[in-house]
Order: sequence, then C-alpha cells, then structure tokens
Amino acid sequence: MIKTEHLTYTYGIGTPFEITAIEDINIHIEKGDYVGVIGHTGSGKSTLISHFNAILKPTSGRILIDGHDLWSEEKKTRIQTRFDVGLVFQYPEHQLFEETVYKDIAFGPKNMGLSGEEIDKRVKKALDFVGLSRSILEKSPFDLSGGQKRRVAIAGVMALEPKVLILDEPAAGLDPRGRDEILSRIRDYHRETRSTVLLVSHSMEDISRNTNSILVMNHGRCAMHASVSEVFDRTEELIQMGLDVPHITKVFIALQEKGYPVSRNVYTIEQGKAELMRLLGKDGDQHA
Amino acid sequence: MLKDVTIGQFFPGNSFVHRLDPRMKLLLTLLYVVALFLVPDFWGFLVIGALMGLVVAFSGISLRVVFRGLKSLIFIIVFTAFFNILYGGGEPLFPGISWLGWLKAEGVRNALFMIIRIILLILGTSYLTYTTSPVMLTDAMERLFRPLKVLRIPVHELAMMMTIALRFIPTLIDETDKIINAQKARGADFETGNIVRRARALVPILIPLLISAFRRAEELADAMECRCYHGGEGRTRYKVYSFSWRDWVALALMLAALSLIILMVIF
Repeated sequence: MIKTEHLTYTYGIGTPFEITAIEDINIHIEKGDYVGVIGHTGSGKSTLISHFNAILKPTSGRILIDGHDLWSEEKKTRIQTRFDVGLVFQYPEHQLFEETVYKDIAFGPKNMGLSGEEIDKRVKKALDFVGLSRSILEKSPFDLSGGQKRRVAIAGVMALEPKVLILDEPAAGLDPRGRDEILSRIRDYHRETRSTVLLVSHSMEDISRNTNSILVMNHGRCAMHASVSEVFDRTEELIQMGLDVPHITKVFIALQEKGYPVSRNVYTIEQGKAELMRLLGKDGDQHA
Repeated sequence: MLKDVTIGQFFPGNSFVHRLDPRMKLLLTLLYVVALFLVPDFWGFLVIGALMGLVVAFSGISLRVVFRGLKSLIFIIVFTAFFNILYGGGEPLFPGISWLGWLKAEGVRNALFMIIRIILLILGTSYLTYTTSPVMLTDAMERLFRPLKVLRIPVHELAMMMTIALRFIPTLIDETDKIINAQKARGADFETGNIVRRARALVPILIPLLISAFRRAEELADAMECRCYHGGEGRTRYKVYSFSWRDWVALALMLAALSLIILMVIF
C-alpha cells in the first residue's frame, strides 16, 4: 500500500537553518494494517506522514502509493493521492472555516467533484463515524466545544473516504473521555471500512490498545517497524530513545523481576487481567 | 515557499557586527542612509561600498543570502532603472543608430546610479536586521526615541507593539503553511483557475488564519497581564546595554566615511 525507498527530506536547503528531518526511510505498510507511529518530539514523524499524501516532495528517494510513484508520474496521480490518503494534522480544528458544520465537512468531497447527492451521503456518514448528532449540521463550527470541533475536523477528512487514514495526535489536548471516544471511533472506522490507518501518538497506552504494528522513529530514521509485542519487547532500546512502554507492561516486567511466573508481553489492561487470573488460578483455587 | 523570503530575517551569530550595541547599529544605519543619499558621484559609492564590504566581512553572513533576498526586489530595481533611462536627457548613447535614439548617456548614467544606490540601501538595512534580533531592534528604537516622550508620544507602547508584530511574523508564517497543508489535504486547489477562483480559494486559508491570530492575541494579552505588565512606567530592564570599544570603532569608521562624502559634495 505505502512503500518508501531511501526517503530523505531536508528543510531550508542553502540557509543557515538547514536540517535533515528524515533520512533514508525504507518502509512498507500493508493494506488494511493499523500502524502506530511513535518517536520523540522532532524525530521526523510529522515530516514522514506529510510525504504520504504528496504534501512534501522528498529531497531524495521515492515514495509509492499502491504501486504509483508519486513524484515521477504526472500531477494527476498526486491530486488523486490527496483523496486516497486522508491526512488529519495536529489540532485539525484550526482548519475549520465554513459557516456551518455541514459545509465544512462537505469541503473535501466538493473538491473531489462529487454530485450533491453523494456529498450529502458522505457528510452524514462521516458525522456518524465521529459520533456527532445530525442536529449540529447547521450550527457554526466555531460555536462548538473543543472536542466537537476536533471531531468535525476529523469528519472533514473521513468524508473523503480515503483508502489510508493518517492521524497526527488526534487525541492531543482532549480530556480522557474525549480521547477514548475519538480513538474508539477511529478503531470502528478501521474495522468497518478495512482501510489502512496510521496513528501518530505519544501515548504508549493508546498505541498498544489500538494498533497492530508499530513504526518507531528516532533522529529522523526508522528505528523499528514490527508488531506491537516485538517492539515493546525491546524496552531498554525504547527508553534510550526517550520513549516508553505502557504502564501495565512495566508492572509485569517488575513482577517478573520479583520472581513471579508472569509473561512480560502484556500491553493492555485486559491482557494484564487475564494474565493475573491465570497466575492466581495456578497458585490455588481459593480465589476462583 | 513562504520561508524563502530573507528580507528582515535574523541570523543569530556572535560576530563583530552581531555584538555591536543595537542602539549604535541603528544610529550607524541612519548615518549610512544619509551618507548614501549625499553621494554626488560614482566615486562616493566606492567609499560606501568599502564600508559595506567591512560589514559583510565582519558579520559572518555571506552575500549569497542577501542576494537571494534581493531577487524579490528585482521588479523595483528594473522599474527604477527603466524610468531613469526613459526620462534621462543628454546626448544619444549611439548617435549612428536611430532606433536606439531614446538611449541617452545621461539616462543610462542615472539608471546605473539609482541601481547602485538601491542595492547599497537594501544591503545596509538588510545587514541591520540580519545581525540584530527584532526584540533588540525595537528595544534600541525605544531608547533612541525616548526624548519624544516629552511630546506625549507613547514611545514604549509603540515599541512594544512593534516587538510583538515582528515576533509573530514567523509564527504566523508557520501557521499559514500548516493551514495551507491542511486544506490541501482536503483537496483545496490554489494553483488553477481564473483570478476570481483563486481569490475564493484563499478563503479557507484566511479565515482560520484570522481566527488563530485573534486567539493568539488574546492568549498573549492574558499572559502579559498575568505577569503584571502595565506599560512602560517604572519598568526596569533585564538587559542593560553599554557601548564597548567595538561601537566606538564602528562609529569612527562611519563618521570618517560620512565626512569624506561631505567633502566630495563641497568640492
């Protein structure tokens, strides 16, 4: 689905502020995968994802979406890619501009040149996906709460019905409930549409709870790209990169070090509960 | 693309020119501009050019950067040259060729004179902003204009407004880039169509930008009030400037160049 070859990008070439943000990235993301992207601030996550929908042109290297080389083929490919790969930037609510929620969500589909009927269908579907009620469609997006604005903005990208949905910190700055809601909506979207999803996040909990595989960025390079358990198994390396593993994993690593016969490969509360039940069950049946 | 503009940019450094007192730099630039407009003939430019050469050499910023910035002013330069040639008097430059009759010696001389003057003007003022941070610059202005307080001109407030405006230029450029990208991601097209279409295409950028500017203004005002900002009265300084030997050397050179040019004007 997404493939990069020696992808490199340098900002401000020829000025005193020249800096290489990503260097020699070679990754392959499978269709239908749910990938978590983690990395320390400034590790090149945002620069990397901005390449996937042809917003940034690589300084060197290639990027292929569905087998199409974005920058060697004609312009039409790149325009189509904007719609095939939906990119939700950080704080997407800052991009809202229309008078009504309906018009704002319809902005993308309208740019695709769809019919009015199809636009209407997509706006309502996207609104359902992010879990907002139809009654807000005629409201001004600027009258909504922060969490609602965020969801409207995400719906604006979902309405493109992209084959790949990329979200840069979609839950940043939201309260725990808003956070859980947005992430579970995205999970549903992934399950129902079978699209490829990339989630950039600083929260290891969010990553472990949602994604199938993880891409780790470090100093502009791709340090790891593997399944959740393989990545979180390399705890020491992650900590050296200024990253972390989920809290529950730390608890189980500590338990193991104290001599309890538990697995280290516990990444969510549910897995932890199951592992503890197994342990307690083995110890004696008085609790069961 | 917006980031290619180098005019008014500041390049941090620790060179001789960087370490000059901002008040002195401002004063020197003023004298430089005065000298530049007093220059009577091409010999005068040699003096100014030599002075500028020293500034370039002791600032650690290569001329390449400046000339990249000049590119955006090429229109003004060509425009000025064009009209100077058209309205110049004197003898035709090529007396034998009739269709070049409008090309008069005086006109060409004037055009060249103006081009050099404009380029030197831009160079001088560019090096001021390249080597002085906006905050230092407005700080220096506030101090140099302090006497105007007698005339009830709110010097401090004006300087603070300028500091804030300058401080937020890069922030707003970043913001604009982000908004452009976010709208591009939704398929917005800013490059095709007639002028009406293109103007309309700017709406999805301008509205979010305006809203974010207001939001920032409010946040900044709150933050300043939280730190008990109440205008310039009784306000002390974190950085107290003082003139060093560098400043006196620079001033001496400038005054020498200025007197040389004044001598050229008189004789």
